[in-house]
Amino acid sequence: MAVVELSSVCKAYEGGRGFAVRDVNLRVEHGEFMVLLGPSGCGKSTTLRMIAGLEKITSGTLSIDGQAMNNVAAKDRDIAMVFQSYALYPHMTVRDNLAFGLRRRGTDKAEIERRVTRVAATLGLSDLLGRKPFALSGGQRQRVALGRAIVREPKVFLFDEPLSNLDTALRSSTRNELVRQHRALAATMIYVTHDQVEAMTMGQRICIINEGRVVQIGVPLEVYRNPANTFVAGFLGNPPMNLLAAELHFEGGLQVQLGDVRLPLPRYRTDGLAAWVGRSVTLGIRPEDLHAPGELPEGQKRVASLRAVVSVVESLGAETILNVYRDGIPRLEFSARVGRGTVCRPQDTIDLAIDLEALHLFDSATGAAIGELQPH
Amino acid sequence: MPVRRVLPQMVLLLLLAGYTAFAAGPFLWTAVMSLRTTSEIMADPYALPSVLHWQKFPDAWISSNYATYFKNSAWVSAVCVVFLSLFGAMAAHCLARYRFPGNRVIFFLIFSTIILPPQITVIGLFQILASYGLIDTHTGLILVYIAMQLPLTIYILESFFARIPQELYDAARMDGYSDFEIFWRITLPIGMPAIATSAILNIIYIWNEFLYAVVLLTSDDKRTLPLGIQRFLGDQLEDIGMLSTGLMIAVIPIIVVYVLFSEKMIQGMTAGAVK
Repeated sequence: MAVVELSSVCKAYEGGRGFAVRDVNLRVEHGEFMVLLGPSGCGKSTTLRMIAGLEKITSGTLSIDGQAMNNVAAKDRDIAMVFQSYALYPHMTVRDNLAFGLRRRGTDKAEIERRVTRVAATLGLSDLLGRKPFALSGGQRQRVALGRAIVREPKVFLFDEPLSNLDTALRSSTRNELVRQHRALAATMIYVTHDQVEAMTMGQRICIINEGRVVQIGVPLEVYRNPANTFVAGFLGNPPMNLLAAELHFEGGLQVQLGDVRLPLPRYRTDGLAAWVGRSVTLGIRPEDLHAPGELPEGQKRVASLRAVVSVVESLGAETILNVYRDGIPRLEFSARVGRGTVCRPQDTIDLAIDLEALHLFDSATGAAIGELQPH
Repeated sequence: MPVRRVLPQMVLLLLLAGYTAFAAGPFLWTAVMSLRTTSEIMADPYALPSVLHWQKFPDAWISSNYATYFKNSAWVSAVCVVFLSLFGAMAAHCLARYRFPGNRVIFFLIFSTIILPPQITVIGLFQILASYGLIDTHTGLILVYIAMQLPLTIYILESFFARIPQELYDAARMDGYSDFEIFWRITLPIGMPAIATSAILNIIYIWNEFLYAVVLLTSDDKRTLPLGIQRFLGDQLEDIGMLSTGLMIAVIPIIVVYVLFSEKMIQGMTAGAVK
């Protein structure tokens, strides 16, 4: 186990425009499963490769267990990495792939055999040890890649989008397998993905990166519930959070003017938003916080009704996504996640109940979350 | 089958048959002549052999010193191909894998030398080899062949190596392997189809090469097969029958190499074309 710490880490490529990674500060605790989440090209893989020692750090410090690693070669960091394409050596059998790293480190032959056999048994690879990678399915290759990392018994495991080449069903089972392995090994793991489902289901904490910067770090549900800015709000969640132009008012309490509708804001403390009264803000509403008639959870009292016209109905089986609009100035367009029992068609009018406790406010200029929440 | 579908296939078949006859015809004609005597050929150049003169092959091999020429060609080709494959692969590995300033300039400079025709370089090479005492030596000829074929070898290998996923190298680095070990244990085995392709092309070129050999070798016991074949072309008499026999002896190793490695060669040439 190990603590991985990045302090003000930056990365600029030669000939590249600006920084690929800027001022990243991140501490991954002993045995923690940390997920680096962000869109393609945001710098998450570059960050991972810097931790691995495959990319030089332009500035800042990377340390493992308090020891600076900037100038330590990849092979001496005691880190194993699972790659997106698995990176199995195509000319070697599964057994040789698993043993390749141990042989280089001068591990005793009997010990190599013992470890390879044990890991193969754990991952269900025992019958495949004589096969070459081309004769394996995608899931089997993925397990070999994982086994190759596990067999080395490293301090830190790094994963660079290892599930992105798998189909949906296999991805789900492999996610569970990885979580199981993390529990069994109790090792520090850093996992890069652009898939929010992977991040939400696997990570003990997630670190959201955008344009080379860390935007927010936290427990998945906490980040989901309290996004630090409109990027996180829009990135986490499918469909993403509805972000609508609004104006903040105070009339006996905080209120937000959304088109021709005024909604109270019971979630927020008044004093924290005094400076924003009378100014434009961005109102965030998660689609699941808009309820169809009759679907309001019991005991939910702080709601407001919003009449809208349905433009698109996406029936997904377990739930239905409604794209709706409300004419006016400005015209409001947003989506709602309703139950599968809700039956409606395009151009139907629907009265949606907004959960007022779940409204979010953001600075319309910077996108940063504003205000302080009421204590529960 | 409807005529509209059959007709294009017939045209294609005819074109392929024509091309095959064009390509294989001279070879078959030479093969037939290799079993006929010169007088029989002079009487009727295109006739099939009435008697198969198999004895011409041992005659050419023993009495015309073909065994020596063959051995010389085999030695020169083998040494050249080993060094070309090794040096070419090392250079290609560096150019394909490492980002360093001037990478593409170096690659372009190396590759641009293939535009120089041998007639231009042969005199300069002769003088250089003479100053080092390497005229009429296999070492000199081998050095020239390696120098001449290295750019093409690097070009073929570089384009293949560049397609090997970077992640394999990253994985090997994390496993603790040095740059040379990565080349030796990853690039070489994975790049074998491309190395086989370049080796076959180099063998064919070196086995058949005439100009440098005729300029740089003077002793009969140093000569390679193309120079040996030339011996059948006298000022007064052209021994077409033995010339054909000599050509067939010369071409057999190429056919063997091609049959054995053609699959690897096709793999090397088409790698990346299909997923």
